[in-house]
Amino acid sequence: MHRRLFLGNSVSGLSSIALLAMLANDSARAGEAPIRPAIDPSRPYAPRSPHFPARAKRVLVIFASGAISHVDTFDYKPELVAKHDMPMPESSGLITFQGEQGNLIQPRWQFRPRGQSGKMTSDLLPRIGELADDLCFIHSMTAKSNTHGPAESQMATGFTLDGFPSMGAWVSYALGSVCEDLPAFVAIPDPRGIPQIGQRQWSSGFLPAAFQGTPFNSDRPIPHLNRPETISLDTDVATRRMVQQLNGIQQASRRDDEFLAARIASYELAARMQLAAAKLSDLGDETAETFSLYGADDTSNTNKARFAKNCILARRLLERDVRFVQLFNGSYAMGEGVGNWDGHKVIEQQYSVHGPILDQPVAGLITDMKRRGLLDDTLVAFVTEFGRMPTFQKGASGRDHNPSGFTVWLTGAGVRRGMSYGATDEFGYKAVESVTTIYDLHATILHLLGLDHERLSFYHNGIERRLTDVHGRVVRDILS
Amino acid sequence: MNQHAKLLRMCTLTVAWLLSVMIPALAQDTLTYEAHVRPILTEHCLACHGPSKQLSSFRLDRKSSAMLGGDFGEPAIVPGKSTHSPLFQYISDPKHSNAMPPPGEERRSLNAEEIDTIRRWIDQGASWQEEETIADGMDHWSYQPLRRQWDHSSIDGFLEAKRRDAGLSTAAPASPHAIARRISFALTGLPPDPTSVHRFVQEFLQDEDRAVERLVDDLLASPHYGERWARHWLDVVRFAESDGFEMNHQRVNAWPYRDYVIDAFNRDLPYDTFIREQLAGDRWGVEAATGFLVGGPWDRVKSPDPVLTANQRADELHDMVSTTSSTFLGLTVGCARCHAHKFDPISQQDYYRIKACLSGVQHGERALSSTNADAQRTELDACLAKSKEIREQLRSLEPIAQPNSSSANRSPLSHRENVENFEPIIARWVKFEVLATTGAEPCIDEFEILSVDGDNVARDASVTSSGDFANNAFHQLKHVHDGRYGNEHSWISNEPGKGRLIFDLGKSASIKSVLWSRDRSPEPRYSDRVATQYALSVSNDGESWTIVADASDRRDRNSAPVAELPNDSLLRQLKEIERKMQSLRDGPQVYAGKMAMPEPVHRFHRGDPTSPKEIIAPGGLASLGAFELPLESSGLDRRVALADWIASPDNPLTARVMVNRLWHYHFGTGIVDTPSDFGKGGGVPFHPELLDWLAAQLIEQNWSIKKLQRMICTSQVYRLDSQGAQEAKLRDAGNRLLCYFPPRRLEAEPLRDTILSVCGELDLKMGGPGFDLFEPNENYVRVYETKMLYGPTEFRRMVYQRKPRVELDLIFGTFDCPDAGQIQPKRNVSTTPLQALNLLNSRFMIDRSRALAKRLEQEAGATVEDQIVRAYELLFSRSPLPAEIDLCRTLIREHGSEAFCRALFNTNEFIMVY
Repeated sequence: MHRRLFLGNSVSGLSSIALLAMLANDSARAGEAPIRPAIDPSRPYAPRSPHFPARAKRVLVIFASGAISHVDTFDYKPELVAKHDMPMPESSGLITFQGEQGNLIQPRWQFRPRGQSGKMTSDLLPRIGELADDLCFIHSMTAKSNTHGPAESQMATGFTLDGFPSMGAWVSYALGSVCEDLPAFVAIPDPRGIPQIGQRQWSSGFLPAAFQGTPFNSDRPIPHLNRPETISLDTDVATRRMVQQLNGIQQASRRDDEFLAARIASYELAARMQLAAAKLSDLGDETAETFSLYGADDTSNTNKARFAKNCILARRLLERDVRFVQLFNGSYAMGEGVGNWDGHKVIEQQYSVHGPILDQPVAGLITDMKRRGLLDDTLVAFVTEFGRMPTFQKGASGRDHNPSGFTVWLTGAGVRRGMSYGATDEFGYKAVESVTTIYDLHATILHLLGLDHERLSFYHNGIERRLTDVHGRVVRDILS
Repeated sequence: MNQHAKLLRMCTLTVAWLLSVMIPALAQDTLTYEAHVRPILTEHCLACHGPSKQLSSFRLDRKSSAMLGGDFGEPAIVPGKSTHSPLFQYISDPKHSNAMPPPGEERRSLNAEEIDTIRRWIDQGASWQEEETIADGMDHWSYQPLRRQWDHSSIDGFLEAKRRDAGLSTAAPASPHAIARRISFALTGLPPDPTSVHRFVQEFLQDEDRAVERLVDDLLASPHYGERWARHWLDVVRFAESDGFEMNHQRVNAWPYRDYVIDAFNRDLPYDTFIREQLAGDRWGVEAATGFLVGGPWDRVKSPDPVLTANQRADELHDMVSTTSSTFLGLTVGCARCHAHKFDPISQQDYYRIKACLSGVQHGERALSSTNADAQRTELDACLAKSKEIREQLRSLEPIAQPNSSSANRSPLSHRENVENFEPIIARWVKFEVLATTGAEPCIDEFEILSVDGDNVARDASVTSSGDFANNAFHQLKHVHDGRYGNEHSWISNEPGKGRLIFDLGKSASIKSVLWSRDRSPEPRYSDRVATQYALSVSNDGESWTIVADASDRRDRNSAPVAELPNDSLLRQLKEIERKMQSLRDGPQVYAGKMAMPEPVHRFHRGDPTSPKEIIAPGGLASLGAFELPLESSGLDRRVALADWIASPDNPLTARVMVNRLWHYHFGTGIVDTPSDFGKGGGVPFHPELLDWLAAQLIEQNWSIKKLQRMICTSQVYRLDSQGAQEAKLRDAGNRLLCYFPPRRLEAEPLRDTILSVCGELDLKMGGPGFDLFEPNENYVRVYETKMLYGPTEFRRMVYQRKPRVELDLIFGTFDCPDAGQIQPKRNVSTTPLQALNLLNSRFMIDRSRALAKRLEQEAGATVEDQIVRAYELLFSRSPLPAEIDLCRTLIREHGSEAFCRALFNTNEFIMVY
């Protein structure tokens, strides 16, 4: 109650003309009128209307960093088993990222039918597999690059080059957030470290810094969130009151100064965030049952338990209506395939480590979201930067990069359940049926949020920039 | 859609309808685009392939585009041959994979009659009156020559006339305190010190003009002026000191470019020379200047995949083409990489002409300047002899290996040089079998076999291995005995923890030692993949082997080397000599590009390097009086010609773009509000006459940037109050007429500088390698962790931060600091709660509050009122009001002066320039 009153006061006196001057004062550009949201600088996270009614209110992106192998997880290829250890037809002389290819190699884990749909998924991720009836697999995803950096950038920002805003930044720029006391866009790095392209995963690029993701996880809180221990609560309160009073004196002589109003509001939001974030990160009110559902109580596997806590944190953020949450599984390269899914040389050994860290926590998260009703209005997307080859690399026991066909899956608001869309060829090498691009995926995610990906734009360096560049088509077949 | 276009479309439809009604007979004769085809396309196609939207980069309302085709890259219409025309195929065959309109869309497919009309129209030759060539944008304002006649002769004159026309008047005059503060921030990015403010105020009260002129001249002469304006320039050119992309390694020798820019501003280097040097400084020995060309991202991850490699090179050159044209010409030439520019008269050929000017530039370092080669050689030889001597001495101290021993008396294994001494033995073959490593496949950068004479006989041996790390340029078997140290010239096996090398010396030799290492470069960076268990054996028949050394008698890895304890000074000497040798070999380097033979530049169909078309000769933009050079011209000649063409007073864009940048940084918004886009898609000049007058002034005053800024800062606008009247705010919301001085938030860099400055902690040392805001890290993928504790090393101005690409520090990165992933000619200004938390709670700020409190006590004594006054002078360049003194006094009394300082840092006034 007090909170709203507070906010109401600080906002008064702001003119929307000023906002236009700040963010969108560039003169009219050629082409169809783009939709640039009008942003109130004193409330950059205020909720804004979508372009049309939305199916999803918020998004969770689970990012498996390092390129998880689709042929060893979700994309079942009987021919790959049948032709095990034989050369891939028409592949002689094929050079992929690290070089020459050896023979086709069957998945290192057994595939079995799961759920009522009987969807074949592998034993590497059995619990996620059991949720197959709720998931919508896209088996025909393609990426533009076969190097981690550019490809991860493309999945995160739509562009293989550096410097573009991430999807979460676009979404919070467009829609703001219903949540009044937490950032609109939160990134949860893996307990083992930040992802391969670091901050670019949640960067605001050329969008205002207000829309950059705020990274924290269950191990590392929001930086500088709390009052330093060297300062007493009393002193802190008095100090901040004086800041308010001094700003107030200034405001008396600068009645319609929108910068000043925005600054005052930002300190008020910071204060609310301190309370809310502390409560959010305290998992003490979660039950033992929840902990064991996610595997957060697994003392035999520390990385799994820590990742599971991140999954619980993700659910808590979504419950509080944070608009966009990005959850990372896998970190930067600490040696090939050590910190993430980059299984070039000894994939079986490496994935035996990574599989259990991912499986139960994510399965627990989806199950928990479902039973709490969160899946009704939250869209979940499980993505990676590209897939892996059905062959082993020459002279190695692992798979090279493969951007020509791989699997991502969606579930939740607006998405058909128990569906498999598109397909790769008989071995899982190239997408051949309903070939889908990352642009299409982004267009679809924006569509479910009620946003027209062709019109949501920001003018930068001579171009009305979009998340989907000049591409993208909503994949309507997977919409429920 | 605007009214005009709507009207046009209505007219077209009406005319078409009239034609079809009135002269049906004609339909049987010649069909034309406007009369017969356009109406059909309007109904079915133009919504997606028309003026407002061009799906697949294809539009059907322009002849050029329709004939050329879109992303599929083939002409959509082949006049005379409907069956060969993709347009006809798509609309007529519903089973076609590109059937149009796309199935499932709400748009109705064409009926048989409509399809037939289009068929006949194409077969008749596709008559289409409208012709739009590339040059049709030539009437755009920025392509016109500068005006030569003026109604006014000062900035104020131009602005005042416009304000009068608009019926607006200016704000009241600002206080001299505010004027001193804003000019100081504008020109140096630092707050004025209280003494100079005091002096200025005194002078101002006597003679306004003279006082302002003196202040401006003083500040323009300050070395800190160059630091402030270099930072603006570095935004425009996307400069950073790391590679970007996945690995994002640091560029330790990129800083000389930053120093070059600072120095250029400080010396008031004429802007045309500034342009020439950044594009072709190697012509005049100004090597650091071309850091501009390679200031952008570079993907260090290389692969044997030829497509990936071609794409990477195309992206590198694209960055150079785009940045060169946006920086100097304010044109988005980069848009023409795949197809002709959508709005501007820039063809694909234009793009590739400029690319050909730059195609000799490779990312990398080169010598900062040439040095005396002979003297260098002699000194190097002397060092070499000395280092060999010391090495021999050190090696001889290492005990003879005792294979299968239970007592450890040899040095621990290291990633650097490991010595295996054994009794001299005759051998033809030498085998090194790795049985275990510290992790992953073993890596050896160099393996040396020393004969009893001390010669390395491994150099001429032939070597085989158990298997090699696949397809990596750094790691190859031949590197293991190539005489070069470091990870980039090493061998890695193909098995984790295992690997075998066999050297065939060609003939039997008497040998006594083997030296091997993981990373023996002067500054080793890699300590992984070191063998921990191994067997070194020799043979004379290649079949029966004698083990001469293994790891059994090596000391624990954490203990000290044998030679180290008694020979500390020897080791230190060696290190010193090696460092000297390295710098002698290299000389000072600068990341300013390696200038190579220009590679042939093909036009790429749709920008795709796998679809090369004709070879393009170097040149400029056809629409701006391009030059053209022969294909055989050297890389340097190409860049010099490009620079001459850009830096010409006749180029209508160059001077306009630069004066607009200056205006933008002085007033927050340019006369054109898109500083790097003067094309049709960019902003329209708010005051074209003023823009041209300023541009003409720049050229006339020998391209002096300082003279132009002097005009701006001494204008009356700079003396106006920052409070605008209601009337002005309503009728000129963007304050383009400058009825009042536009208030601004300090950017990240001057904010940090100012915080340190008012504490008395700012280190004003100029130039040289920068400081880091991130913890050191040597991972393959550089990990950037913001430092939490800062000491005096990080107290220099932020322009000297070793700026990584696409990584922002946790505190000041939240203040819209550009990340150099893209050019940033115009910064955002956002206000966020994270900024508030950083300024309130970061250790950096808490320490600064303490430092400021200390300074106040030192300079103002123990009296609270004096401290408050001093603080206000330092932070706000003014005296406190009585109400402010009351508040501050209470806080200090109850919570101490550190709390007071923390509060002041968080006030709005501190972060704003009014």
